[in-house]
Amino acid sequence: MSTDSDDTPDTEVAREKLIDLAAEFYDQFAEGDVPTMTIPTRTKSNIEYDEDKDVWVYGDRTSTRSAKTVSGAEKLLKATYTIDFLARQLDEDRSSTLRELYYLSESWDVEEAQFNSQDESNDLVEDLEIVSDVTREDFHMRPEESGATIMGPLKLREQTRRGEREIHCQKDVGEGGYQIPNNPDTIEFLENDADFVLCVETGGMRDRLVENGFDEEYNVIVVHLKGQPARATRRITKRLHDELDLPVVVFTDGDPWSYRIYGSVAYGSIKSAHLSEYLATPAAQFVGIRPEDIVEYDLPTDPLSDSDINALESELEDPRFQTEFWKEQIELQLDIGKKAEQQALASRGLDFVTDTYLPERLSEMDVI
Amino acid sequence: MTSYQSRLGEGEGIAEELAESQRAISIAEFFEKNKHMLGFDSEARALVTAVKEAVDNALDACEEAGIKPDIYVEIQEAGDYYKLVVEDNGPGITKEQLPKIFGKLLYGSRFHAREQNRGQQGIGISAAVLYSQLTSGKPAKITSRPKGQADAQYFELIVDTDTNEPEISVDETTSWERPHGTRIELEMEANMRARNSLHDYIQDTAVVNPHARIEFDEPGLDEPLKFERVEGAQLPDETEEIRPHPHGVELGTLLKMLEATDSYSISGFVQEEFTRVGGKTADSIIANFNDRHFGRGMAWKPPQVQEDVDVETAVEDAVANKDATATAEFAAAVNEAIHDRDRVAHHEIAAIVDEAAETVEANHDTTFGSTVRENAVEAAWHCVTAERSSDLYELVDAATTVRKDDAAVEGLASRLADKFDDGHHRLTRDEFRAYVDRAADMTEDHDDATFGETARENVVDELWNAAVPIPDDPPNVSEVADDRDTASRLLEAMRETDIIAPPTDCLAPIGAELVEEGLRKEFDADFYAASTRDASVHGGDPFIVEAGIAYGGDLPAEGSVDVMRFANRVPLVYQRGACATTDVVKTINWRNYNLDQPGGSGIPNGPAVIMVHVASTNVPFTSESKDAIANVPEMEDEIELAIREAARELKSYLNKRRSLQQRREKQDKLATILPEMAEKLTEVTANEELDIDDSLARIMNNVLVEREVEDGTVRLAVENNDDTNADVDLTDIVTAEPEVTNGATVVEMDGEWFVKWSPTVAAGERSVLEYSVADDAEFTVSVDGVEDEKLTVDA
Repeated sequence: MSTDSDDTPDTEVAREKLIDLAAEFYDQFAEGDVPTMTIPTRTKSNIEYDEDKDVWVYGDRTSTRSAKTVSGAEKLLKATYTIDFLARQLDEDRSSTLRELYYLSESWDVEEAQFNSQDESNDLVEDLEIVSDVTREDFHMRPEESGATIMGPLKLREQTRRGEREIHCQKDVGEGGYQIPNNPDTIEFLENDADFVLCVETGGMRDRLVENGFDEEYNVIVVHLKGQPARATRRITKRLHDELDLPVVVFTDGDPWSYRIYGSVAYGSIKSAHLSEYLATPAAQFVGIRPEDIVEYDLPTDPLSDSDINALESELEDPRFQTEFWKEQIELQLDIGKKAEQQALASRGLDFVTDTYLPERLSEMDVI
Repeated sequence: MTSYQSRLGEGEGIAEELAESQRAISIAEFFEKNKHMLGFDSEARALVTAVKEAVDNALDACEEAGIKPDIYVEIQEAGDYYKLVVEDNGPGITKEQLPKIFGKLLYGSRFHAREQNRGQQGIGISAAVLYSQLTSGKPAKITSRPKGQADAQYFELIVDTDTNEPEISVDETTSWERPHGTRIELEMEANMRARNSLHDYIQDTAVVNPHARIEFDEPGLDEPLKFERVEGAQLPDETEEIRPHPHGVELGTLLKMLEATDSYSISGFVQEEFTRVGGKTADSIIANFNDRHFGRGMAWKPPQVQEDVDVETAVEDAVANKDATATAEFAAAVNEAIHDRDRVAHHEIAAIVDEAAETVEANHDTTFGSTVRENAVEAAWHCVTAERSSDLYELVDAATTVRKDDAAVEGLASRLADKFDDGHHRLTRDEFRAYVDRAADMTEDHDDATFGETARENVVDELWNAAVPIPDDPPNVSEVADDRDTASRLLEAMRETDIIAPPTDCLAPIGAELVEEGLRKEFDADFYAASTRDASVHGGDPFIVEAGIAYGGDLPAEGSVDVMRFANRVPLVYQRGACATTDVVKTINWRNYNLDQPGGSGIPNGPAVIMVHVASTNVPFTSESKDAIANVPEMEDEIELAIREAARELKSYLNKRRSLQQRREKQDKLATILPEMAEKLTEVTANEELDIDDSLARIMNNVLVEREVEDGTVRLAVENNDDTNADVDLTDIVTAEPEVTNGATVVEMDGEWFVKWSPTVAAGERSVLEYSVADDAEFTVSVDGVEDEKLTVDA
């Protein structure tokens, strides 16, 4: 999990860890035992708070993939084939996307080893991350580009496949901003003039902030989350917080799905809780839209749908949202039965968000 | 040869009755008119029937002589005709027996012997002889060699169709290779269109007669079909002939029995001629008969104090010209005896009068003659019957519910009272009912009351119970025989009486084991099951149902299963749809037994054969052609239970097979996946090749047999990964002499040593056989006692 990209020993470590995993299966066969692979159960009920690291990680419950059943044996066969593929890829110092892995499996000679869907191959790669304790990025597996961007007073150096590039995220980029690479550990922060980091859910709001010059006025690094943030986006947010010691705030829509976006930035996601330590920014604060804003600013709203209500109720039981703040907000929202988008603030004028809402809220939160 | 006789006799109530009404016409004409009844209605069917009759007879003849049947059946083309040849290894026949057996179509019979025999079917071999003669004009050719005789005898036999008398036209000595037996040749108009039925018949016969060997040849076959005897199959147990059971006879039979019996009284007759009838049962039958024959005498209460009649005075007045003291004493005795009783019937008063008369006669030296006695009886009876309404009111009131209007009850009672006129009030139950009906109808009309069926029947019951049975002697046997109505009353009385079920030693079921063997012999299937029920009774006849099922193997998987029906070891070929057996098979939910059944009812589909055998002294057939078993509920129940018993075994077999198949599929799947995985692992880890058999055995919960050889020590391990005990029979064939411990035995054969070891290995346990042997020894192990699917041998 180094920031250096061409570090051969690191690649070698990843490769060895994968082969160790294969060797485990091998030994199980050699002993005449039934090959199995044990991984933590990846559900909401099996995450717990790690007080030392201040993030949510997997608990003690595990599930076992065993060759005792046909489907278990198929999973292990796929795992073996994937290990083989990844080890080869590392050996040759190449990389591929998750989607490529899915299509590539079609070429494997054993039909039972091929993936039936991309979800299956994605899940398997995550399983391998967990059992081998190596991140996907170190397997040289990347997701499709998420297109998330940064805009703000920050100068960095990126190790690209075509050499190093030094980029200032305000001066050297267009209005679209600096695009976050798949492995942000190839980035080195050089210098910055920022006071805090503002993560924004929607493209529309991000553009409004940039157009209104909010980043310049308040020395803020605007990170566009683009919906549920990709790992790279969460990783770079964490690094901005940890390495540059900048406060991080998250600005989303006012609905249950957006609270989960905040949750995954701050606490880590359930699916990748094994990487929470690496991806989560526990100090991140939630700006809004809060249910209280809907009341206070009398924002245009939509009624909560059944699935919204279910999601809110499920969040009330989610260990990550067990705080006074969230309980109060969620219960208030269930009470008023309404939700609002970030853009709803435009009902008070295009500049309302940058002139009034954010400054007021952020100073309340002691960020500015 | 009694079988031929009994078959002819058996052969058949209907034929005799038919013939009786047609005595005037010739036998040929009779045959022509009734050939559909006799199974000769088409040329195709005629051949099947002829074969059936001849084979049934041959089997019966052999069995009765205690010989395991060896039957040869051949059909040859003979110009325009077909020639049927049937040979058996029976006891042979003498010239004297010959006409009776083969010649006379309607040979006189003993009535209704109760014995399980094939002869219950069909009309007999004589019909085949006659058919042959009528269609081809050729005589029946019979060769017979009784046991122990050096030569055989050859006969030709013709039936004179005018007189119905068989004539032996040729009688000469001949030689025959069979040591004993009978051969009959018949030429007839026929065709082979019913070839399939014929083959079915022969095969089915072989199935239910596993003790018989049958060979069959016909022009369409390249070589004769041979149906071998099941090894060790014994002749069926000899059946006891039993007398008929009183619940199982018909009126016609009863009349014939009455004519033929040596008994004089009914009591003697029923005890002598029927099974399960002793003195007590005979008394019950006679009491029931008397009730029907004589009726009962209505009994009335003696005159009460308030009534204006006095028995004593009336009797005294009725006795004229006798000594006054004696008369007074007589009248007092009668009066006292009558008043001693709650109710008194006419014949009881007669008895009382007789007794009183005799006492007084003895004391006073006077005579009370019959006229005096009769007068006294009538006088007393008159007094007793003077007031009837109140008696009847009491009875009717007791028989009806409290809700009945009192006026209606009184109305019914008084109208009933009017029905009893001046006679002796002897009525049968039916007459009582008629009285009650009329009185009730009138009451309904006039008193606006209703007396329903139940109420009327209750009243009749009450009256009937108040009435007194008549102690008269029943008519004797010849009187009953002469009067159909009386005989009918006797039959009713017998049916009415509770009589224990007939004995069952008159039946010879095939036995579940041999049913299964029979199926095994004729069908190449994967699974066989059979069941034999305990004996049951319908009417007066005991019966036993047996069922068998064969499944899988070479049986055709498409279409519905084959239902094979048998009655007394004879295959039923025609009228499948009309048979109780078929009906029962259709009503069973075969999906419960894992057979495919479209729509959830009807004949199931699949590679199966279902056979049902009904053995009885009197199989209830739907018609005279005796092709289908009638829907008698008791028999249907037993058929169902027998089939279900066998089907349950089929179900557990199919379940097991399914689970083994799933296991096999899983094993097949894993056997492709895991080696690929192992190969890949070997490649990735750059290790040496993997042996994954042990892992596979554990995954499949298999019994794993492993060998380790080290410094001349062999360790043969049996590891049971299943959750039940494994009884393993293991034979290790070793090329050098081993030293064995651990309870294994060693046998040497041709320079090889067979190490036999049979451990029982508990679930999850491992047993090891250890022995030492020379280093260069080679081993071959074979394992029994564990299904292949559950076994992994790695040795």
